[in-house]
Amino acid sequence: MAISKLKQIVRLRMIWIMIIFLFLLVLFKLVQLQFFQFDELTTKAKESWDRELPYASLRGNILDRNGEVIVGNKLSPTLFYMPSQNDDPEQVADEIGPLIGMDKGELLEQINKRSYLVKIAPKGKNISSELAMDIQDKNIKGLYAGVDYIRDYPYGNMLSRLVGFTGYDAQGLAGIEYQYDSILKGESSAVRMFTDAKGVPLPHVDDGWKNGVKGNHVQLTVDLDIQKVVERELTQAMQKYEATQAIAIVMNPKNGEILALASAPNFDPSSYQEVDSTIYNRNLPVWMTFEPGSTFKIITLSAALEEKVVDLEEDHFHDIGYTMVEGARLRCWKREGHGDQTFLEVVENSCNPGFIELGNRVGAEKLSEYIRNFGFGESTGSGMAGESTGILFSKENFGPVEHATTSFGQGISVTPIQQVQAVAAAVNGGYLYKPFIVKNTIDGETNEILSSSEPEMKRQVISEETSAIVRDALEHVVAEGSGRNAYRDQLRIGGKTGTAQKVQDGRYMEGEYIVSFIGFAPADNPELIVYVAIDNPKHSTQFGGVIAAPIVGQILEDSMKTKGSGTQLEKEYRWGDVEQVRTPNLVGTKRKEITSYMYPFTIVWHGEGDEIISQLPKENGLIPLDGTIHVYTNK
Amino acid sequence: MPFALKQAAYLVVGIFGAFIIQKSSFIRSDGFWKGLYIVAIVMLIGVLIPGIGVVRNGSQSWISLGFMNFQPAELAKIAVLGVLASTLANEKNSRMKMYIQSAVLLLLPIGFIMVQPDFGSAFVLVVAVFFLLFAAGLPFKFFLWIGLSGIIAFVLLIVSAPYRLVRIQAFLDPWNDPLGSGFQAIQSLLAIGPAGLFGFGYGNSRQKFLYLPEPQNDFIFSILLEEAGFIGGFIIVLAFVTFFTTSFTMAARAKTRERQLMIIGFTSLLAVQTFLNMGVVTGLLPVTGVTLPFISYGGSSLVMTWGIIGIILNLAKETDKEGGR
Repeated sequence: MAISKLKQIVRLRMIWIMIIFLFLLVLFKLVQLQFFQFDELTTKAKESWDRELPYASLRGNILDRNGEVIVGNKLSPTLFYMPSQNDDPEQVADEIGPLIGMDKGELLEQINKRSYLVKIAPKGKNISSELAMDIQDKNIKGLYAGVDYIRDYPYGNMLSRLVGFTGYDAQGLAGIEYQYDSILKGESSAVRMFTDAKGVPLPHVDDGWKNGVKGNHVQLTVDLDIQKVVERELTQAMQKYEATQAIAIVMNPKNGEILALASAPNFDPSSYQEVDSTIYNRNLPVWMTFEPGSTFKIITLSAALEEKVVDLEEDHFHDIGYTMVEGARLRCWKREGHGDQTFLEVVENSCNPGFIELGNRVGAEKLSEYIRNFGFGESTGSGMAGESTGILFSKENFGPVEHATTSFGQGISVTPIQQVQAVAAAVNGGYLYKPFIVKNTIDGETNEILSSSEPEMKRQVISEETSAIVRDALEHVVAEGSGRNAYRDQLRIGGKTGTAQKVQDGRYMEGEYIVSFIGFAPADNPELIVYVAIDNPKHSTQFGGVIAAPIVGQILEDSMKTKGSGTQLEKEYRWGDVEQVRTPNLVGTKRKEITSYMYPFTIVWHGEGDEIISQLPKENGLIPLDGTIHVYTNK
Repeated sequence: MPFALKQAAYLVVGIFGAFIIQKSSFIRSDGFWKGLYIVAIVMLIGVLIPGIGVVRNGSQSWISLGFMNFQPAELAKIAVLGVLASTLANEKNSRMKMYIQSAVLLLLPIGFIMVQPDFGSAFVLVVAVFFLLFAAGLPFKFFLWIGLSGIIAFVLLIVSAPYRLVRIQAFLDPWNDPLGSGFQAIQSLLAIGPAGLFGFGYGNSRQKFLYLPEPQNDFIFSILLEEAGFIGGFIIVLAFVTFFTTSFTMAARAKTRERQLMIIGFTSLLAVQTFLNMGVVTGLLPVTGVTLPFISYGGSSLVMTWGIIGIILNLAKETDKEGGR
């Protein structure tokens, strides 16, 4: 292309000027950076040369009512690595890889990260203190064992389904840990290390400490001494009856404080991954709903007494073994019937037709009202996660049959905590208290109480006088009736048995029962109320009076002593004072018949046959009431 | 100090090469540039073939020769400018033919370079070519239109590759993601700023220890500024500007229009690359991987730079030993 010489030179000059201009820009930028922004960038550079070594926060404890630690913390350091401080990551990987059991490749990938600080995870997270000391002794440049904690469970599995557990970063994942996470968790602290660019700590500058904040403690209403008794009894029962699951609640009926709360089976919260989520996610005493059975008769009784439609000692009822309601034959648990009884005996014998009569006298509408007033059909507000509401009949569906079955505790479903709340009201003078489990939150730094739960009386459901009659009737149940296995010398115990067939998909399950007992003591002025339910016990008559009553009796006895002295030694387990009985003759009976006899013994079968040809001990031998009879069949 | 030894070896090779080139007459033949251009295109295609090309930092830009790695784009830059300068110097060519020839000769290698992708090299080459076209006397209106379409192309390029958008964001606000996309830009500023007037002294860089990736390469200038301060940076910039000025002076005195345009093209190439590198390091420009001529570590780059010196010196010679042509 032809252009003039002059134009050529002009164009060249312009290019030169442009390039001079560009480099002037660079110089201006340098002036800006190195003079005007000198201070700002110097500060920022220093910040980037300082590294903070995180110190994990101390999570708050979960305490029992006396301040004993249920869940605490245990030192378990975590390894941190500052890549800039060590030129030989290969060697670092070789040295610590085998110690923490981490694959070299994976470890190298982590410590080669372009980062000020690398947390060596998961194998370097929460190692044992001893291992951390060993690693510190190796003096590997850039490798630090940062203070870190894991949860400590001094009582192991105890209360696990209530307190829950924490996850990888000590965050609450279930139970109290989850619900009260914001209270329990603290703020991390850190050591600030001033380093030069190579990351070598500067000798003339002291390390700074950035203060964290300790988490706050959560104090439960639980009394560990009572809890231990309860857990011991449940564990024994689980083993003895090979039950599917079991629950127990101990509450102070006068204010709603839950003193013990147990579910079996429970689990080790430090390795929660090893159990099914249906175990760690379900706090059975509030989660489980089932047909209450006879324990529910206390509500019918309270309503009838409050409505003054019955005089327990004067009025009589004749039980022929069943009652017909709208063509349906509703049986008493005793096939041949109880015959003529006073209504006090109806209560003692837990006679179903008698309670249908009581329910009738109260009336369908009134009975429904009482049931709802006693707190059924809605959450108790205990504040525990996963609480169910249970199912009652709706008004439209509450026909005569439903009315009748509800009177003796069938056809509805309730939670254990609802039953405890209701029965507590029935025996404490009629006051329905909200059950609660968290007593205080306590400042982790100062140990000052941050917040306290006060007992909350929801309403009065029956009068003091009625309540006194209910207490008396239930004491009779233990002294003379179906609850006599809960009887203890020197301790006035009142209570009521319960046996209910399990329901699955709307149908009763053949041969599977939940047996329960609710008891309180002292019967004239209750200080403790105890509810125990065993799900699907085997080797014994599936009867609340046989299985659950003695457990409640034992819990009440031991707990009252514990409450009294506070320093009572835990005694060896024993099954109460058992009577010796004569063994019946079982030879010649069939498998099916044996179950219907409802013997209190454990019967161990040998052989596949249907008919018993031999037994040990022989007829008229002496065995304890809860002893074992071995039977041998024809095949 | 393996880096320093290797670099010294390449420096010797480079200076020796420059000396040879400066003496060689074939540089001045038309055929040489056409040949070089074809070789460059072949190599640009070759580097894209798996097995021949080596992938580094996500770009397939290198051919391994065993003893050293070679970047075909470096050769392509020189070849394109040489061929274009010959075309533009030809006074017989019509303007339209010139436009078309320039466009084809430039866009073919640029296309291959962008496939690698090596945005830095492509950008340097395109800008250097525009300096050359400007020197050749194309009307201002042309550059206005090119400027507009350049902006559009730039936007399209950013939209087409998410990592470029991240880089632009990091450029506009590096502190937004100090450990991620803004890391390099920030670490560079943290090296330069605190150095002040005199710097921390030779060998006392802090940032070169892991804070800056490959401190010997694209970010060498930031380490230089950290150790030698503003004074050091000023001297380096002054040295580059003096070199470019001298080179342009040689261009003004060149015997033929063709040689003049070649010198302008090669000088612009080095100037643009120098500015791009310094602009990135000082935060004037978004992070783009280009080396600093003469200073950055890297055999291919260093030898090529000295090769260009040899070419410029050769073309600028007042006596034409081939005189008989």
